[in-house]
Amino acid sequence: MSSTREQKISIMEVRDNFMRFEISNITEGVANALRRTLINDIPKLAIDKVVFRHGQIRDSMGNVFDSSLPLFDEIVAHRIGLIPIKTDSKMNFREECSCEGRGCSLCTVSYNIDKTGPGEVYSGDLVPFTGNVELKPTDPFIPIIKLGPKQALLVTAEATMGTGKTHAKWQVTSGVSFKYHREFKINKDENEGWEKVKNDYPKSVVGETKEFLTITDDYQQRGVMNFINTSTHRSVINQTKPVEIMEDKNRFIFKFETDGSLSAKETIKIALLRLPGRLNILHESIISPD
Amino acid sequence: MIIPIRCFSCGKVIGSDYRRFESEINQIRSRNREPTSDEISAIMDGLGLERYCCRRMILSHIELIDEIMPFS
Ligand SMILES: [Zn+2]
Repeated sequence: MSSTREQKISIMEVRDNFMRFEISNITEGVANALRRTLINDIPKLAIDKVVFRHGQIRDSMGNVFDSSLPLFDEIVAHRIGLIPIKTDSKMNFREECSCEGRGCSLCTVSYNIDKTGPGEVYSGDLVPFTGNVELKPTDPFIPIIKLGPKQALLVTAEATMGTGKTHAKWQVTSGVSFKYHREFKINKDENEGWEKVKNDYPKSVVGETKEFLTITDDYQQRGVMNFINTSTHRSVINQTKPVEIMEDKNRFIFKFETDGSLSAKETIKIALLRLPGRLNILHESIISPD
Repeated sequence: MIIPIRCFSCGKVIGSDYRRFESEINQIRSRNREPTSDEISAIMDGLGLERYCCRRMILSHIELIDEIMPFS
């Protein structure tokens, strides 16, 4: 049983919005539970309520603009909701907040957009005005809508915490995947070229026994990947006769990226904190089925 | 119509990447030639669009917002 052995996490690559790591000695079930936690159980901030100002809109110069837009208000509201917003993970869900669902600075951030045409409205025009005003959109260059001459967009919006279970706009991660640790096993007797392979690959991905040379594509440092992908080294591997691909079903290589609302480090921390809770729910429902 | 904000399949934010992609394509076109498929591929790699679900969002998009502007 794999669970009797020690569980270990090692991080292979980490950037602000990307992470690759290995967990050993867990079952596929737990690995998949972690993957799904990363996808749909990380709380983040997203705009949930948008109020459009309809009718004539006047700017400070007294010019009159119309509130009708090239797209339906519903589409614009949906687009505004999908914009990733920098999140403070200490914020509360609205229904669990001390304000009892009325909305306060601990659970809500308000934004407004005040833009007149002609021109394009970008996520950077979304300005926070109540709550924590540090929580701006992570990317200021996402187009929301294009305004014609004499058109204007005057909008207030409220962002609340949620999880990916409810709507994809509360999904922090994308491209979450895991695979088994993998090694290519080359039989030395049957491949004269093995020494060339050994010398050409970085030492960190090569292993050696009396009979076999092993190469892994689960590298530790950055830059090795590009090296392995070069066609010359592909051809070395393809030319050598029997190459066995071995997968170690106790070692899982995860990778995921975030939309910037939370850093990759924060995200994995929250996921690992929330995972036991999710497993407990399963456990309890097995003990006392309703 | 107008570029979607996120990739339909994986949820990566691609709305802002489309404008960057467009400007690099236009840079090549200003030299009086069409970008080659390798150049397009390199631009998308540079934008961090790794998976083909995100790549197709950019590649298959047709900007029609200017066409419908007069009818709003
Ligand atoms: Zn995608």
